[in-house]
Amino acid sequence: MIKIQNGPIDFFQKAATLILLSVSVLLAGCSQEQDPGGFAGLAQAVGSGQSEAFLQPGPGDRLRFPDDWGQHPQHRIEWWYLTANLKTADGEPVGVQWTQFRQAIESRTAATMPPVAEQWPLQAAWMAHAAVSLEGEHRFAEKFARGDIGQAGAVASPLDVWLDDWELTQQPDGALRLQVNTPEWGYDLLLRIQGEPVAHGNQGFSAKSASGEGSMYFSLVDIAISGELTRKGETQTVTGRGWFDREWSSQFLKTGQQGWDWFALHLDSGDKVMAFQLRQQDGGFLSGTWIPESGEPVALSPEALSLTPLGFSGATPNLWRLQIPQYQVDVNVAAPAGSYMNNGLYPYWESPVNVSGSHSGEGYMELTGYRGSP
Amino acid sequence: MTEPLLKVRGLCKHFASAGQTVNVLSGLELTLAPGESLALMGRSGSGKSTLLNILCGLERPDAGSVGIAGEHFAADSNANGQNQQRWAMLRRQRIGVVFQEANLMPALSLLDNVRLRARLAGQRDKHCGDWLTRLGIGELAQRYPDQVSGGQRQRAALAMVFAMRPSLILADEPTGSLDARTALEVADELFHQQAASGCALILATHDSALAARCGQRLDLAQLGA
Amino acid sequence: MFLLPASQFLNLFSALFSHYRRHPLQLLALALMIMLSTMLWTGVNYLTTQARASLGQSEQAVAARSQLERVDGQALTVADFVTLRRAGLCVMPWLEVERPGQAGRLVGIDPLAAGCFAQTAPAVGNNSPEPEESPATSKKPEPAWAPALNGEPFVDISEAAALAQNVAPRNVSLSLLIVPPEPASALPADYRMKGFSLGPDTGELGDSFLLNLDALGFLVLLITALLLRSVYQLGMAQRRDSFALLHRFGVIPSAINRVLLVEILLLALLSVVPGVWLGRLLAGTVSGGFGQALDSLFDTPLYAGQSENWLTPTVTMMAIVLVVCLAQNVRALLLRMAAGLPFALPAKLLTGFGLRPWPWLALPLAAVGLAMALLAQSLPLVFFAVALVFAATGIAAPFAIAALSASLARKTREPLARWRHTELGVMARRLALPLVALQFALAMVLAVQALVTVFEATFDEWLGQRLAADYFIEVPAGASANAAAQWLAAQPELAQRGDWHQVVRGVAQVPSADSQAKTVDLFALGPVSPLLTMWSLQAAGDQPWQGFAAGEGVMVNEQLARRYPLAVGDSLALTLADTRLELPVLAIYADYGRPAGEVLINLDLLPAGYVPEFESFSISPGASDIELITDDLQRLWQVDSVRVRDNKRIRELADAVFDQTFLLTRAMTFVTLVLAAVALLIMGWVFFSTRAWYFRLLQVWGLTRRQVLAQLGRLALTLTLSITLLALPLGVWLTWVLVHRINPLAFGWSLPMAIYPGFWLQLGVVSVLVGLSITLLMRSQLGGSGPKPVSAASLQGDER
Repeated sequence: MIKIQNGPIDFFQKAATLILLSVSVLLAGCSQEQDPGGFAGLAQAVGSGQSEAFLQPGPGDRLRFPDDWGQHPQHRIEWWYLTANLKTADGEPVGVQWTQFRQAIESRTAATMPPVAEQWPLQAAWMAHAAVSLEGEHRFAEKFARGDIGQAGAVASPLDVWLDDWELTQQPDGALRLQVNTPEWGYDLLLRIQGEPVAHGNQGFSAKSASGEGSMYFSLVDIAISGELTRKGETQTVTGRGWFDREWSSQFLKTGQQGWDWFALHLDSGDKVMAFQLRQQDGGFLSGTWIPESGEPVALSPEALSLTPLGFSGATPNLWRLQIPQYQVDVNVAAPAGSYMNNGLYPYWESPVNVSGSHSGEGYMELTGYRGSP
Repeated sequence: MTEPLLKVRGLCKHFASAGQTVNVLSGLELTLAPGESLALMGRSGSGKSTLLNILCGLERPDAGSVGIAGEHFAADSNANGQNQQRWAMLRRQRIGVVFQEANLMPALSLLDNVRLRARLAGQRDKHCGDWLTRLGIGELAQRYPDQVSGGQRQRAALAMVFAMRPSLILADEPTGSLDARTALEVADELFHQQAASGCALILATHDSALAARCGQRLDLAQLGA
Repeated sequence: MFLLPASQFLNLFSALFSHYRRHPLQLLALALMIMLSTMLWTGVNYLTTQARASLGQSEQAVAARSQLERVDGQALTVADFVTLRRAGLCVMPWLEVERPGQAGRLVGIDPLAAGCFAQTAPAVGNNSPEPEESPATSKKPEPAWAPALNGEPFVDISEAAALAQNVAPRNVSLSLLIVPPEPASALPADYRMKGFSLGPDTGELGDSFLLNLDALGFLVLLITALLLRSVYQLGMAQRRDSFALLHRFGVIPSAINRVLLVEILLLALLSVVPGVWLGRLLAGTVSGGFGQALDSLFDTPLYAGQSENWLTPTVTMMAIVLVVCLAQNVRALLLRMAAGLPFALPAKLLTGFGLRPWPWLALPLAAVGLAMALLAQSLPLVFFAVALVFAATGIAAPFAIAALSASLARKTREPLARWRHTELGVMARRLALPLVALQFALAMVLAVQALVTVFEATFDEWLGQRLAADYFIEVPAGASANAAAQWLAAQPELAQRGDWHQVVRGVAQVPSADSQAKTVDLFALGPVSPLLTMWSLQAAGDQPWQGFAAGEGVMVNEQLARRYPLAVGDSLALTLADTRLELPVLAIYADYGRPAGEVLINLDLLPAGYVPEFESFSISPGASDIELITDDLQRLWQVDSVRVRDNKRIRELADAVFDQTFLLTRAMTFVTLVLAAVALLIMGWVFFSTRAWYFRLLQVWGLTRRQVLAQLGRLALTLTLSITLLALPLGVWLTWVLVHRINPLAFGWSLPMAIYPGFWLQLGVVSVLVGLSITLLMRSQLGGSGPKPVSAASLQGDER
């Protein structure tokens, strides 16, 4: 797929572009109006023959466990995504994020043997993000790797997702262990999963536009977390709860979509909400899932909810109003003071949030495609 | 009347100015014998300096001829290069020129200036100091031009000219930048030495009193077109 | 504005500026000089900065890298890479494929793995406390190697791996580059680190070269300032009448000064900006090749692209223009301040004790400068000494010419010759600044030429010594070098037509003055081959290599000999792995800038227990096939691959880069010379124009135009040739200081010094050309109707 003809800068630009593309797709956000070529290029890639080999998720697709915990080599993009609202022993709130992305460059069916490692194949690129938010400080790190040589990968059972020495792995007792290390900070967390995976949208098919494009998407919404956070040479105990997303697709953003705003909220009532909107000039596409304390999750149609930005940090809205009239939800969702930009190759906002209003609670918010990120 | 030193016939000179042709000289006739003096009168721009330049070969007339000290120059002559050589020799040995100012090389002393001029004319060095003395500035011989007054500079310029023992002196407003009294003194010296040396003098001036001291008088303003 | 009502200011401004309306050429000359000077300095500065950045990067990319090898001697594989990465180490694969024929070497790397090679915070963004991240400041952590992946030999490692399948295994080698972990114990026990280098390390030779480039840049700035000052002064002199007139009309001098300040500010701005642009254009044009040469030498783009820095050159040049043009005002201000002091010395100093300006200063300045340059033991002092000597020469040179011409004038009886001599004296004083600038430029060009030639020769010899053999084969870890040596000795082909020797590098202890043993580098060689005997020795006894081959003594490098000090015949005590040797010094060999002390001994003298740090073979195979030799060695050592380096290729590349660098330096100095010459030309022309009346006077006095021109030509040529003659000793002295004082002080080693009289001749030709050009330019002014005589009012002292 990657033809290297014009020397390494060319190559590197391509590699960087791929990574960029993957991030922009994965985060479903890219304010591309300033650069219509880039976005048009994406749209063309979808339409071209190259994408034929990739599978496109559709309303008829179903989730399959445990296979869907592993990688989907015939899909273009996917991620494993943990956000956690934790507290130190002193009660100080701590936000933690870990994400691992896979971006396919060449499609491959699940049955096909991967190429041999000695050939240093580049059928897929992997990227991992980790961030810690504590005491008004936000720290972020990222790593990259090529797939199929063992440096990075994902195995469904027992679950193992890794890139270099960052790893999410299933323990013999079924709990998950997440280890992240950077020269300046790191964490080692134990994740105890409660409840079943929640399938979003239509039994796992989550529409991303009115015309039907979308991704396969499920979440673990109730995870008890305990572990250690190392920072400035000191190790602290942290506990709290987390939210784990699995999502994969082959679909790039539609032309006109600028970015996205995503919320995962734990309400003190015991209910939980996932809500997102894909912004475009003529409004956008809203969707979400209402997960009651007891009972089945309910997919929220675009008309069932509304999201309104109320306050800004620079160009990024860090205070939102979320309304779901059907469930008498009318809350303000606020990020703590400070900047929570993940300033990696592709910058975006990822912050813990507090919920107030008709309901109280906490959660995480991810915002992409605002001025200040490409 | 002796054999004429200078004989000018049908001299014409015009300039192009602001798209118009200005005839400064048209058909000028002039004869001057050794020892005679001629005053050139006329307003500024009437052609006094032009005529002087033509009479020493620094400018070429459009028409006419100039005969001077046995040499003959015709405007239509093709032998320009040769003419230049002949004019240069004349200027060197026979024609002395005095300008209103800046007649001296600033880097040389008054005496060295006189010696340079005399040597170019083929004269001996040894009388040069005498000439400065005769013109009343003998004690300033080692001074440089910027160290003496304007009047003294003009006296030195006269010394230079007489030291070359010229046949003809062309003086262009030689007292023009001097105060009245000094001007008078310098003019006295000029006429005195001219009379003593027996050379001819053509003096361009505005000053009618000065002009009156010359034997002849030519008003270019009346001749001009 | 400046305490003047705006309308009055504008009136005054237009009155003063009217001078330039009447003499647009003067304005143009001033603007042109500012622009050209700015262009020159910007260009030189830009190139120097670039050369520095480029060489800096080359050292980082080439010298200061580490790689890993397996302790068990096995070749590295992708599995090793994964193991190390998953252990949290920053490792990057580097797959070299030597393609057959013309295709050449290709390097495959993994850009995705390169992120952690970023120098500061390896791929870690920290955006915590500052709240508002603007888009412009949100920095992406760019992998350090990212900008470096810019050259033909680099491809993605997957492509290199695909190509490697069609190439013999010995032509493929995988290296793993590593950022040394902290603590070092984090490295798994199965691996160890060693240096990774791609080409010859220019090391301190490069540093020295850069230091000299800096000195060059400074000199250019000085020359620039002189040129500007001269043009400005000329303009001021020509405007003195209008200033006097304005003064008579009641304008106070300080108001005039203010207007002049604004005028020069405007003019500087208008000329500096295009000058900077042109300078960058110039530098960009010349430096393209420089970057390419560096790239091809190191196979890595080392040519540092520069950020758009307009501010530094613009501000520097503005400051220079202002200081230079307003120096008179500054001096006047200082004088006013000094006058207020209770003691008179400062004021006297400023006015040169009332003597004619400055020449009295030259002698003490020169004496102090020369003595200081000879004796000073610190670099700043030597630079200061150079400045003093330049200042002294700059002050003295015009007066020397003037004094010489005055004495000649006194001696001659011939009035026209006397006039010419005195006129030369006037010119020397009036054109002092551009003359001094030309003198400095000539001296600089001369010194740089000599220096560059010396550097070139030294680089050449250095490369010759380092790369004497055609090939260089590393002994893999765990393999027996001695077995290989025996095998090589047993090859009849190699013995007959080829040359080879074994190289062992390590350390040895030598006793030092404070009774603590000092560690020096050990360089053991054997057998002695013609590859060694061609080394240039700085000092040697009789037949040193025979004695060396017989194990009768050692050789030391220049550095060790200098530090110790050691001379040929002295005895040196060495401790090698508990064995003590005492051997005489047979010879001292040139080290070309290698800062470490080094002892060269015969391999046979190495005790059995000595642990080498590095072992290799230098082989010139002659008629034998190097591939067969490496194949056999590979079998002998039982390893998958052997690292072979083709020295000829490295040599070619190194030659290319140095040629380019030196060419660049020469081009820069040449441009400086041209500028100085053009400045003198402009100044000379303007000056002669002010003297045109007097040349006209000569014509009135009976010289033909041709004769006047001949006088003029003689004057101009005497002037330019004498300044060239005066520049020669300064240039030779500058060369000496650079080579024998600055370099040893900066780097502890010295270069040979050479003098190139052929080049002096070339400079002479340049000065003759300048003189002739002035004469030719004047030719037109002597023709036609006469120039007006200068007014009596300006007949001041400086006319003579």
